[in-house]
Amino acid sequence: MSSERLFENLRLSRRTLLAATALFAVPTMEAAADPISGPIVSLDYGLASTLLALGVAPAAIASLADWDTWVVEPKMPSGVVDLGTTGEINLEVLASIKPALILTTPYLAPLRPRLEAIAPVLELTIYAEGGEALQRSIAATRLLADAIGRRAQAEDFLARSEQFFSDCANRVKRLDPPPLALINFVDTRHARIYCGAGLYQNVMTRIGLKNAWTGPGGYWGFETIGLEQLATLDQNLRLIAFEPLLPPNALDNLQDSPLWTSLPFVRDGRVSVLPGTLMFGMVQEAERFARILIDHLEKLA
Amino acid sequence: MTRLKAKNILGAPAVVLTLFVLAGLLAWHQLSPDFSRLFVQQSGYDPRRLLLIYSTLPRIATALLAGAALSLSGSLLQQVLRNPLASPSTLGISAGANLALVAVMLAFPALQGLSRDAVALFGSAAAAAVVFLIGARRGFSPLALVLAGLIVGVWSGALAAILVLMNDRYLSGLFVWGAGSLAQQSWTIPLSLLPKIAILSVAALLMVRPMALMELGDSGASGLGLSVKRTRIVAVCIAIALAAIVTSAVGVIGFIGLIAPRIAQLAGARQMKGQLIWSPLIGAGLLLLTDEALVLLSGASSTFLPTGAITALLGAPLLLLMLPRLKTAQRSAPSPSQNANRTSCEPRVILLASIPALLLLLIGAIFFGRAPDGSWTLLAYLHWPDVLPYRLPRITGAFAAGAMLGVVGTILQRLSGNEMASPEVLGISAGATLGVTAALFLLPAPGMAAQLGFGGLGAFAVLIAIFLFGIRSGFAPERVLLTGIALGAMLDAFISVLAAGGDPRAIIVIQWMSGSTHLIDISKAISATMAAISGLALAFLGRRWLELLPLGAQATQAIGIRVDFARACLFVLAAAMTAAATLVVGPLSFIGLMGPHLARELGLRRAAPQLAGAALAGGNLMVLADWFGRMIAFPYQMPAGLVSALVGAPLLLILLMKRRRTAQ
Repeated sequence: MSSERLFENLRLSRRTLLAATALFAVPTMEAAADPISGPIVSLDYGLASTLLALGVAPAAIASLADWDTWVVEPKMPSGVVDLGTTGEINLEVLASIKPALILTTPYLAPLRPRLEAIAPVLELTIYAEGGEALQRSIAATRLLADAIGRRAQAEDFLARSEQFFSDCANRVKRLDPPPLALINFVDTRHARIYCGAGLYQNVMTRIGLKNAWTGPGGYWGFETIGLEQLATLDQNLRLIAFEPLLPPNALDNLQDSPLWTSLPFVRDGRVSVLPGTLMFGMVQEAERFARILIDHLEKLA
Repeated sequence: MTRLKAKNILGAPAVVLTLFVLAGLLAWHQLSPDFSRLFVQQSGYDPRRLLLIYSTLPRIATALLAGAALSLSGSLLQQVLRNPLASPSTLGISAGANLALVAVMLAFPALQGLSRDAVALFGSAAAAAVVFLIGARRGFSPLALVLAGLIVGVWSGALAAILVLMNDRYLSGLFVWGAGSLAQQSWTIPLSLLPKIAILSVAALLMVRPMALMELGDSGASGLGLSVKRTRIVAVCIAIALAAIVTSAVGVIGFIGLIAPRIAQLAGARQMKGQLIWSPLIGAGLLLLTDEALVLLSGASSTFLPTGAITALLGAPLLLLMLPRLKTAQRSAPSPSQNANRTSCEPRVILLASIPALLLLLIGAIFFGRAPDGSWTLLAYLHWPDVLPYRLPRITGAFAAGAMLGVVGTILQRLSGNEMASPEVLGISAGATLGVTAALFLLPAPGMAAQLGFGGLGAFAVLIAIFLFGIRSGFAPERVLLTGIALGAMLDAFISVLAAGGDPRAIIVIQWMSGSTHLIDISKAISATMAAISGLALAFLGRRWLELLPLGAQATQAIGIRVDFARACLFVLAAAMTAAATLVVGPLSFIGLMGPHLARELGLRRAAPQLAGAALAGGNLMVLADWFGRMIAFPYQMPAGLVSALVGAPLLLILLMKRRRTAQ
C-alpha cells in the first residue's frame, strides 16, 4: 500500500543519494563554451531525457524513483539526485545543489516564483493549447540547446532523429501495417486511447502509420474510453497496449468478456503488449516509441 | 381519507411509470436502429449486434440493479434511523467502501470477485461505524448523523484520490472507477450483482413487519416482543451490504440512494412497505434515465462522463433543497460554559505553561530535520542561509493557517453547539478548490496570483450561497453547516468528473487539495500571519457573543444581543479566515476540528482562553504535520494537509469516544 510505496521511495532515494554525495553531477562533457556552467536540474522527464541527448547529465530530476517505470530509456546515469514529486518539489534539496539552471514546463507554473529565487529558470512549452507535441519538442530542444550552449549537439541530435524518422517512414511503407489503436488500460473496463495533438499521434503521422482512433483528444493527446468503443472501429486494426498494465491481469480478465473475444482483431490475435514509453515526453521518447513500435511490427511481418 | 389513500397507491406507480417511459424512450433511441439484429445472426462480424448484446443491454441491467440496490439501501437507512437525509452517500458508506478498495487495490492490483466485495464491505462498515459512533453521541439526531456522514464521505473520497495520486502519476484508472462508470463489456457485473442483491432484498422485505412495528414507537415495539435494537442493527447491516456490493462492482454512484426514497415519499409511499417496494423501482428508473441521457450526451460530445459523479452533481443540490423540510428542534446544546466555573481559574496557568512546550516544538521543527543527503541533523548556523529561506516560510505559513483554522473551529463549534463543526465543513474550502480548478482550466498557465484570485472568488461564491440559505433559516447553525457540506459534496463531485477524464490538470487540483505548504514563500507567509493575527483579534472582540450564544437563542436574545446579527458577523469572520487558511493548507486538514478539542481537553472552556488555546494548538499541529510530511519519505514530501488529516481523524475519534465515556 502507500506506506510500502513510501518505504520503497525511501530506499531508492537513499541509494541514489549515497551515490550522489560523491558527485554533484556536472555536465559530463567539455563545458568551455557554455553560457551556463554548473549543475542543471530538470523538473520534467522529457526535458531531462533531452538533456541526456545533448550530452549533459542533469544534476537532479523530479520523481527519479519512477523514471524506470515511465521513461525506461535512456537510463538515467547514477549520481543524479531525486527532488521528490512534481507535486511537492523538495526545495531544500534543490537549493543545496546550487543549480545554474532549472528546466521546467508551464505545468509547474505556480512553482516558478520559488524556483526563480533559487536559480535562473527556463520554462519550455510542449504540452499546451494550440500546438503539436513533436514540433514543439523539436523547437524546445533548440531553445534548451541555446541556453546551455549546445546548439551544435542539438542540430546533430535533431538531424539524426529526422533521419531516424525518415528511415522509419520507409520501413512503414515496406510493411504496409494495419491501422493501430494505441492504449493504456486504466482498469478492466476503460482505457486511454492516444490521438490528437499528442506525441504518439504526431509520430504516427510523421512515419506514415494510420491511427484507428480518429477522435480529437486534448492537447495531451488522449481520450478516456470504455473498451466497448473499440468494437465500432475498423476491425483490421492492431491493438497496442502499453505497459504498465493496470491491473496487471487486465488482458486475462478480458478473456472472460464475450464482447472482447468476439472482436475480430482479438480473435485474430492482433493484440500486442509493448514496453512503456513516456506518452508526455519529447524527441527521445518519440524515437523510442517509433523504434519499439516498428521493431514489433517488423517482427510480426 | 380515501382520496389520500387512492393517491398513495396511484402516486408512486405513476412516478415509476413516467421514469421508465422516459428512460425507455432514451434507451429505445439508442437501441431501435439495431434491435432487429438481436434475433438475426448475420454472417461475419456484426459490431452493432455485439455492442447491443454485450455493452448496451448489460449497461441497462447494471443501471437498473445498482439504482434499485442503492435506493433500497437508502430507504432502509431512512426508515431505521428515522432520518429523511440518510443514504449510502450522505452517511459516507459508499465513500468508505471506495477508500478501502482503492487502498487494497494499490497493494493487490489483481483483486477481484468475492475478495473485492469483502474489502468493500469492510470499508463501508468501518465508515458506518465511525458515523454511528459520532451520531450516537448526539442521540442519532438526523442532522448530526448526516453531518458526520458527509464529513466521512468527503474525507474518504479525498483520501482515496490522494492515495491514487501518490502512486500513479500518469494513469488515473481508479479515478474513473471511483467516479462510478457504468460502461460494460459483458454480463459479468450485472449477473454477479443480481443474486447478491436479490438475497439482500428478500432479507429487507422480511424486515418490513418488524420495522413497521417499530413505527409504533420503540416502547410499543418492545411491548410486542420485538428487539428494537437487533432489528435496527440487522436493517442497517443489510443497507450497508447493498451499498458495498454496488460500490465494489461499479464504483461510487452518488446520491441515488437519497433521491429515490425521497421521490417515493413525495409520491405518497410513506408507509414502510410502500417505501421498500417503490423506492427501489424509482431508483432503478432514475439511474437508468440518468445513464441513458449521459450516453446520448457523451456520444454527442465524445467526452467521458462517469455516471456516478454526474448523479452526485445532480443530487447534491437536491439535498440543499430538502434541508428546509427538515424539522430541527431548537435545542440548546450541552453548554461548554456550564462547566466554566470549575476551571476558570486555571486557563491563564495552562496557557502560560504550554507556551514553552509549544515554542520548543516550533524550534525543533525549524532546526531538527534531514540534510540534503538524507541524514538526520541539527541545522548548523553555517547552513542557515541555504535552508531557512525554504523552511521558515512554510513553517510560518503552516502555523498561521493552523491557528486560523483552530480559531474558526472554536467559533463554529460555539455557534452551533456541535462538536463536529469545523471550517472544513462550511464548504468554503471546497469553493476555493473549485476556483483554483476554474483557473487551471480557463487560463493557459495560471500563476500563483491567478490561482489565489480564483480561489478567493470561489470561496466568496460559496459564502454568498451559504448566506442566502442561512438567511432563510435564520442562521440556524446546523442548517448552515449542512448547507456548507452539501455544497462541498457537490463541488467534490464536479472535481471528480474532471479528474475522471484523466486530464493531468485535475491532478494539480488534487495536489492542491492535499494541502501542500511547499509553495509558501516569504510574502505568502507574511500575509498568512497578518490574516491570522487580525482574525484572532476580531474573534477576541466577539468573545462575549461566543460566550453567550451557546446558551441558546432565546437566552441570548433576552440578554439583549441581536442573535442574527451576531451570528452573521461570526459567520463572515469564520468564512474569511477559512478561505485564507484553505489557500495555504488545502481543504482537508481537520485542524479546525482538532484545535478546539485539544484546547477544551486542556480545560480551556471559556471563549477567550479556548480561542487562544485552539489557535496555539491548531498552529502547532499544522507545524508538526508539515514536519512529518517532510521527514517520512525524504526527499519525497507528503503534503501537510494530508498528514494532519491522516493523524487528525483517528485522534478526533479517540477524543470523541473518551468524552462519550465521561459523559455517561
